[in-house]
Amino acid sequence: MTEFLLALSGVHARSEATIRVTQDWERRRVDSRTLAKSFREDCESLLALQKRVGVDHFSDGQMGLPWQDFLRPITDGFGGLRKGPLVRWFNTNTFYYVPIVDGDLTSEGRALWRSVERTLVRRGSPFKVIVPDPLTFCELAEDRHYGNFDKLLFVYAEALNTELRFLEGRGVGYVQLSSPSLTARFRKEPISRDALIQLGEALRSALRGVSLRSGFHTYFGDASSYLPFIFDAIPTQDIGFDFTQTDPSSLSKTGKGLIAGIVDSRSTWAEDVGKLRREVEEIADKTGSPSIILAPSSDLRYIPRASADEKLGKLGRVKKELRGGAD
Amino acid sequence: MKAFPTQEIGSLPKFSWRTKPFRGVPLVDADVKTARDWGERFRVPGTGDLLNLLSKRDGFSEEEKHRLVEFSLLYAIKMEERAGSGEGVGLDLVWSGEQARTEMYETPVSGIGGFEFIGSVRSFDNKYWKMASIRAPPAYKGNYHLDEFLFTKKHAVRRVKVPVTDAITIMAWSDNSYYGRKWARKDMPPLERSFSARREFTLELAKTIRRVIRGLIENGAEEVQMDIPAATQYQTVEDIELVSEAFNETTKGLLATFSVHSCFPPSVGYGLLFPQLLEMKCRRFSFEYANRDSLKTGLDGESREGFKDLKLFKEYGYEGELGVGVVHVHTDVLPEVAVVRDRILYSAKVTELPPERLYINPDCGLRTRSPEVAIKCLDLVVDGAALARKEVCA
Repeated sequence: MTEFLLALSGVHARSEATIRVTQDWERRRVDSRTLAKSFREDCESLLALQKRVGVDHFSDGQMGLPWQDFLRPITDGFGGLRKGPLVRWFNTNTFYYVPIVDGDLTSEGRALWRSVERTLVRRGSPFKVIVPDPLTFCELAEDRHYGNFDKLLFVYAEALNTELRFLEGRGVGYVQLSSPSLTARFRKEPISRDALIQLGEALRSALRGVSLRSGFHTYFGDASSYLPFIFDAIPTQDIGFDFTQTDPSSLSKTGKGLIAGIVDSRSTWAEDVGKLRREVEEIADKTGSPSIILAPSSDLRYIPRASADEKLGKLGRVKKELRGGAD
Repeated sequence: MKAFPTQEIGSLPKFSWRTKPFRGVPLVDADVKTARDWGERFRVPGTGDLLNLLSKRDGFSEEEKHRLVEFSLLYAIKMEERAGSGEGVGLDLVWSGEQARTEMYETPVSGIGGFEFIGSVRSFDNKYWKMASIRAPPAYKGNYHLDEFLFTKKHAVRRVKVPVTDAITIMAWSDNSYYGRKWARKDMPPLERSFSARREFTLELAKTIRRVIRGLIENGAEEVQMDIPAATQYQTVEDIELVSEAFNETTKGLLATFSVHSCFPPSVGYGLLFPQLLEMKCRRFSFEYANRDSLKTGLDGESREGFKDLKLFKEYGYEGELGVGVVHVHTDVLPEVAVVRDRILYSAKVTELPPERLYINPDCGLRTRSPEVAIKCLDLVVDGAALARKEVCA
């Protein structure tokens, strides 16, 4: 019997009100306290929505200044890194500053904790934090120090481990390691089976001694070339797929949980709830997975807030239907 | 022909006296002083008339706001024509710095039928664009750049170009609701379906944009810069081919000089555009490079790390013109002019193109900088090119 859960899978869209305040703050029309208040209210509003639609792992939406880009808490908070050039984030019209590794990569454990909206932790459901997986970080960073990809992979994983232990101690209940780099290969070949095994080992290092629930989410590309081997290689409890890109027919039986990215986070087009429910039921039948976390295909920051919230609401209705109408 | 001709590549910041009246915010002394100081500095004709207009401070009529826009076009033109430390140096190829546009996406989308604005989306940090959703096939509503072009042409002394946002970029920055829904009904693999939706949307847009460009040419435009920042967004071979196809469909048979501007690719760089990029029938490719470069002087590959992708043009035997971004536009930390000079000389070295075919420009639009920083960037372009010219002519 499959358990159906619901969670966000990435950075959420800022509200129009927060957007105006950030613009005013940049132009020095409002002070930092006004900005902080706006972010707090935005997070509270998102939390209220998550409660309303039945989200099982709460997220703060990673909308605040520490998450100016998905790598920024790492770039700003880990030792041995500095901010490099501005480049495009995969196939989106969003951008990030390349982390340049020019010293020993270290963590004191608090970089991610400082980046979450801490008032939302321990608010009734497990709190979820979403971070770049070792492959994504290492492919997007510019290494001028180690000169060895595998070395960087494991050093980053060790630093992440320090962070995750600290997060667990503060009450965080779920960590999602996001891996767009695994599937968004564009003109590059999929990574080899050996490289996937190596990534799995790096993830084991990152999760060593950590008991919070973990997921590994792939998006912006088709993951079918890694199936079914990914289930054995990656040690997280849940493995995630962007089903707007990956054909569900490529799945097979697994004892792992799934993160099912079933609504398209890149389009406001409102999917049909019944169709989504049937798609999830087929995934459940095909995989026999013990749990499926319904999720957007990736970050909902690629569409305006109203549409992002609507997508989350839609997922809530799918979950309700899958549970036979029970809340 | 002049070695290392210079050009602006995108937007310039808007002065507070241009923006506040549109937000309903009264002007203060500092706004008027800015108009006076910059008007005197760049010897903008009619500055006195502008100051008279601004003395009203608040409650500007629509007609008066229109005049404010025209003055800001004029300020931008004169900033470009008088940039640089030498008297009367200026950029060689100018336009009016996006002063009449909200920005490069919102203005064209407002002028094309079928779109509906749905909210703001964050691009990076605290920068956003107002996203529109396509709800019906794109339709020509009028020439959204014509008035701006005619004014610029009338008041510029230097050669004028007109930047036009291309179809790929409007497609990529929009919510593809209409075509996404249309293609969702087809029984196809997900990736094939989404590409088909992108392609149809893009090529329909190209027809409308072509009509806008044709109107500009009929009214005297001789040089059109197609702005394609989204050229590197969708990175499959099919999508890169679509970038070229859309450009060629938009411009085919039109008698003007066409150039292309793109910027900020993913970490793999501009290599992903080759060789399909070279299928575009255009005179000049202008890309951003300084963003990735060091602030050290030098003509070696390490000092000029940001410019390494330029070698691709040499490798593929390209012999046309290039526009080289030599000043990063998202920082107030500016390079020494000697660094800009070396960036230019290095570009000439690795491309092996004659200096007359290398245009020098900022990486991208300067709208996110203050006017003070923006003019320093233009000064660096002009002065760096002058220094490089001296080197190659010595």
